[in-house]
Amino acid sequence: MRDLLIVGAGLTGLFSAALAARRGVRVALIAEGRGSLELSHGCIDVSGGLSPHLVVQQSRADHPYSLAGLENLEAAIREFRSLMQSAGLPYSGDLGRALRLPTALGTEHATSLAPAPLAAGDHASGGPLTYADLIGFRDFHAGLAAAEMARLGAPVGEPLHLPLLDAPAHRDSYATDLARLFDDARRREEIARAWKPQMRGVRRLALPAVIGLDRSAEAFADLEKRLGVPICEIPTLPPSVPGLRLEGALRRIAVEAGAWLLDGARAVGRVDGRSDGRRVSGVVAHTAGGPRQLDAAAVILATGGVLHGGLVARQNGLVQESVFDLPVTFRGEREDWTSPSALSPQSYARFGLTVSADMRPIGAHGEPLFENLFAAGGILAGADRAAEGSRQGIDLATAHRALEAAGA
Amino acid sequence: MNLPALGADLCVKCNICTAACPVAAATDLFLGPKAVGPQAARFRHPRLPLPDSSLTWCSGCGTCSRVCPHGVAVAEINIQAKARLAEEGRVPLRDHLISRPDLLGRLGTRLAPAANLALRLRPARWMIEKVMGIHRRAPLPAFARRTFRRRARARCVDQPPPPDEAHARTVAYFHGCGTNYYEPALGELAARILEMLGCRVVVPRQGCCGLPLQSNGLFEAARGYARYNLKWLSPFAHAGIPIVGTSTSCTLSLKHDYRAILGLDGEAAEDVAEGTYDIFEYMTLLLPEALDRLELLPVRARALYHAPCQLRAHGIGTPALEVLRRIPGLRLAVSESECCGVAGTYGLKREKYGVAHAVGAGLLEQVRSADLDFVITDSETCRWWISGHAGVPAHHPVEIVARSLEII
Repeated sequence: MRDLLIVGAGLTGLFSAALAARRGVRVALIAEGRGSLELSHGCIDVSGGLSPHLVVQQSRADHPYSLAGLENLEAAIREFRSLMQSAGLPYSGDLGRALRLPTALGTEHATSLAPAPLAAGDHASGGPLTYADLIGFRDFHAGLAAAEMARLGAPVGEPLHLPLLDAPAHRDSYATDLARLFDDARRREEIARAWKPQMRGVRRLALPAVIGLDRSAEAFADLEKRLGVPICEIPTLPPSVPGLRLEGALRRIAVEAGAWLLDGARAVGRVDGRSDGRRVSGVVAHTAGGPRQLDAAAVILATGGVLHGGLVARQNGLVQESVFDLPVTFRGEREDWTSPSALSPQSYARFGLTVSADMRPIGAHGEPLFENLFAAGGILAGADRAAEGSRQGIDLATAHRALEAAGA
Repeated sequence: MNLPALGADLCVKCNICTAACPVAAATDLFLGPKAVGPQAARFRHPRLPLPDSSLTWCSGCGTCSRVCPHGVAVAEINIQAKARLAEEGRVPLRDHLISRPDLLGRLGTRLAPAANLALRLRPARWMIEKVMGIHRRAPLPAFARRTFRRRARARCVDQPPPPDEAHARTVAYFHGCGTNYYEPALGELAARILEMLGCRVVVPRQGCCGLPLQSNGLFEAARGYARYNLKWLSPFAHAGIPIVGTSTSCTLSLKHDYRAILGLDGEAAEDVAEGTYDIFEYMTLLLPEALDRLELLPVRARALYHAPCQLRAHGIGTPALEVLRRIPGLRLAVSESECCGVAGTYGLKREKYGVAHAVGAGLLEQVRSADLDFVITDSETCRWWISGHAGVPAHHPVEIVARSLEII
């Protein structure tokens, strides 16, 4: 039997698995498919550019930040940084000052931590940006980004269009195709030689985030040296390379530390504890063959919200939790769930599980439903993480709190 | 015959499958699993010729289905489309031959010394490539002189045996063609380990699982084998006797492909699917106490464990790794490659060999550079491919556990 079973392979699940395994906990992680990190920019958004301390202090009592508290947020950020440092994928930034990073649309993304190649684009630390797109790569347009940035009043260089060698010829290039090209030292050298003449007058070069996948730190440092100008990376459309790097690093840490990762299996419900109805004894996993019982002393549910499969909105106006059918906090009729504008705060985003201060889902009278079942991340009620810019901060802080409560 | 619905409409085009696909990473001739799967499915009319042939580059490793977070059976869509190509008569004679390992095995074991010698001769391999289209550098296994079934005659049964007072459990061993014709010692070790865990081991009547035929699009022939196996295995499953296998591809067929790809449904298919286990899945999930009591002695060696793509598709993670990690003295690294490249018969084909080699290049490089005593991997085709190319011995995890138990 495992000490801990985690359901879900997004940031919350993988961070929990990596940290628990490093701490010597016998942990298993089960997930249907890959998590949403492959769609993510790879940064850690905590508080939308506001002071994290103030945001946590001023959160409503039912907000995940209020439940986890500042000490869990701070500790989680420390642990995350140290994990990523050890994986050779160092993150820059801290909770003291927001990084202001350029986006592929020329706007500004306020975040707290970013992988070093992305953090190199921080508005506060470096010269004006020159956006460059890679000829044949349709997911990144230097002209579009530069025009928007100029419109917003930021200094920006004349956009560049750089040639790619050995890019796919028979189909469109995905970001991952290009990232693998840059992993290759010989091709990188050829590319740098072809680009070098266009670097005259460039103070800081903003490239799509495709500079290496498995060997990204080496690829980034080498390309920067060969070009002779500071470079920074900007996340692109999915598949997002910075998200993939983060996912790969967390998986690697977890596996090396002895975690058992069960990919491609769907958790469908608890195995009822025999001795006491107030404990879960694991989950049932739907595998290729049939249902299998996975026993564990504690379970952390990290399956995400409506967009990630943790919550399921039914035609009849009910919102259900997808694994254990736990009670979900939600409000209103279906037509009230969304705002007319996709970019506005959304009512549905606050739906989720209501949990106690130690991350145990609770029933109508505030009582924990199970002694050893915990929830963390996007499945928690009370936060509109996109509108708040708090997505990854909540993931890490609540994962940290849940691990502590689960005795891991 | 009606084929199962595979959820093409659930695809949200997130490209998680494309990012994970090892073949798309190796060649741009393959448009990627999303493009040839759920996307192209819309352009395949049931009564019109198929418009695309890029899908012949799909190796059928199944990574796409496993990583899809929305439950799209991407690989299954592709393999069904391949079967359409086969119906249109677009399958070379070579594929009909290499997809019948039982036929080759029956012939080869009778002629073993001569056949093995011939397969080691360069001119013979050159000839085979010219005439048959089997790449001359693709490693081929040596035939055993006596099949597993002949060596294990005392265990062979046609019907489930009555319960036995001396054993708490009876298991039915599915050996597959690899063990029967090429690696009979592996089957004997598997049976002995299961016996040490308190099981009685019988060997039911069985044929080739049919997977090689299915992967080559030859569904009708594959169904012939599938029906034969269901006929002989379902009485065991029905009697509650688990079917335990050491070949991850055969067990995947029994668990999943008969139903989800070949469209065989009914009670027999369901009983066999739910009653089939990979040997380490069976040990870790159903015999945990017996496993804890097993006295594992040190195996002082450095090894790399590679989880075959066809094991990953079971959705059970890496149970062999869970057991190998208990062996004292064994220093294990874990491969991150989705697939070694060969994917059954794919890498043997003259026109596919280069792509298969590129798919496995990272893994082979890891094997060569790590100063390993051996590689451990559950699938026979991976073992032959890896050891044949990297010059490092490759073992089934059963062999390493046997070494630790000092039964070899």
